[in-house]
Amino acid sequence: MSDPATLALVTTGLSKSYRTGHVIQGRRPALQDLDLEVRAGEIFGYVGPNGSGKTTTLKLLVGLLKPDRGDARVLGEPLASRAWRFRAGYLPEHPYLYDYLTAAEYLEYAGRLFGMPRARRREKTRELLALVGLERSADVPLRRFSKGMVQRAGLAQALVNDPELVILDEPMSGLDPIGRRLVRDIILGLRRAGRTVFFSTHILSDAEALCDRVGVLRAGRLVRAGALSELLRLDVQHMEVFVSGLPEDVPALASARRERVGERLRLEVDERDLGRAVAAVEAAGARVLSVQPVRQTLEDYFFREMGTPGGGASSWGEG
Amino acid sequence: MSRLLAVAANTFRETVRERVLYNLVFFAVLMTLAGLLLGQLSIRQDEKILKDIGLASMDLFGTLIAVFIGTGLVSKEIERRSLYPLLAKPLGRGEFFLGKFAGLAFTLLVNVSVMAAGLALTLLATDRRPDPALAGAVYPILLGLLLVVAFAMLFSTLTSSALAAVFTVGVVVAGRFADVVRNMRDVAPGVPPWLAEALYAVLPNFRNFDFKDRVAYGEAVPAGVLAWVTVYGVVWIAIVLVLGLLSFRSRDFQ
Repeated sequence: MSDPATLALVTTGLSKSYRTGHVIQGRRPALQDLDLEVRAGEIFGYVGPNGSGKTTTLKLLVGLLKPDRGDARVLGEPLASRAWRFRAGYLPEHPYLYDYLTAAEYLEYAGRLFGMPRARRREKTRELLALVGLERSADVPLRRFSKGMVQRAGLAQALVNDPELVILDEPMSGLDPIGRRLVRDIILGLRRAGRTVFFSTHILSDAEALCDRVGVLRAGRLVRAGALSELLRLDVQHMEVFVSGLPEDVPALASARRERVGERLRLEVDERDLGRAVAAVEAAGARVLSVQPVRQTLEDYFFREMGTPGGGASSWGEG
Repeated sequence: MSRLLAVAANTFRETVRERVLYNLVFFAVLMTLAGLLLGQLSIRQDEKILKDIGLASMDLFGTLIAVFIGTGLVSKEIERRSLYPLLAKPLGRGEFFLGKFAGLAFTLLVNVSVMAAGLALTLLATDRRPDPALAGAVYPILLGLLLVVAFAMLFSTLTSSALAAVFTVGVVVAGRFADVVRNMRDVAPGVPPWLAEALYAVLPNFRNFDFKDRVAYGEAVPAGVLAWVTVYGVVWIAIVLVLGLLSFRSRDFQ
């Protein structure tokens, strides 16, 4: 258990189930006994396959759902308190913003809900539209925005109050590569400014690139939480050698795993055997094209924990 | 309070930018003009016909607007999830719900006022004096419309927008025949008296807001009656709003 003063978010036994069926009603557990800690100033990635309970958790935290049992403290305040909401921001998954408003009007409206004075609202609106790259579209109705632009405007409204804690549900969803880069930079900028970011994602490379720590959710249960270095084996697993012109029968490379990739051959060799393997390739008259170390990725971890790549990928989605 | 007003102002802005409202006002004005035409064709009672048609179209179009915005705009917030980012802010669900009602009420006030002004102008334009007693019929109409919108919001928190509209129209129609329900024994003697009484008790009597005939005949509505109608309307609106609020507050947004 960490020092409560350094925690931005703590959940204890947080659970939620949904009603199923119309005539004969049952309950389907969506989140079970979630014990989670998010430290102040860190970027925490909440990852898991479709239907694992990520969005349910975030909705419970911001009050869109009521927990069956369990509790949470946000920024040191009880979950039910209104006080922490002045200090937090939230971006829902696939946000729908009022399409009859312009982006600037929407941000002004969001600012009013925080009781911000008019001058401050205007200044903040300009600042945030520039931050998310929408300054030229400030006066365009949101109904004319593309999906990616709506996502950016949604992120801007989550930051209107300079929040200490930002809760983002799939913030990269619907964004093109430039938009994803922009959102990544904003998230990193928030950490530099000492803010806490708690975001859910099914894009593991985003979690890997951004997070200090991650929580892994499966079927409504938190299966692991910790620093990436704790979760992943960050030491080199093997070396990947790409070669060309290698004959099939080179005895020194018999133990290496081979895979043909177009004109090239990909060899997986143990780190200790690298020198011998490269010498054998050259002795056989072939050419070494590249050599690189392979470390475990979050994706590898996932497929190991959740099943084979084929099986895991089938349930992988935007949940 | 400032947050409630912010929601109300935004709701009003939404209704203004949804152009269907303008169409309905346009139709109401058309109806009044049609009344004017009828008034010219008739030899007697032309002023009464004009007032009749003006007030009736105010009531009809007002009800359509109330059902449309009450169910449409509130359900849309829930179905399209546009309230998600708002409810995560320091905006209580009660503030959101009551702010929404205040915005819709203001929309109805503006609409009824525009239609009443249209009727008064029509009377003026045809050399008839706009009767101040008309206000005695317009005000109860507005109260009735506020009750309609409160019901529409209540049903929107419970079900889809289409069903909410059906239920609201059902309550309005039943409420307009509330007197028939009360005197059901006269037409259907087999109905147990307690059932008729119970049905009457749970339905608002929308006839209580209807002074159109009286005013069209040039009769003023006494202040005491208007005060009673105000109490009746406000109590019903408060009950329905509290029920809607309780439903909205306990709701999960999956």
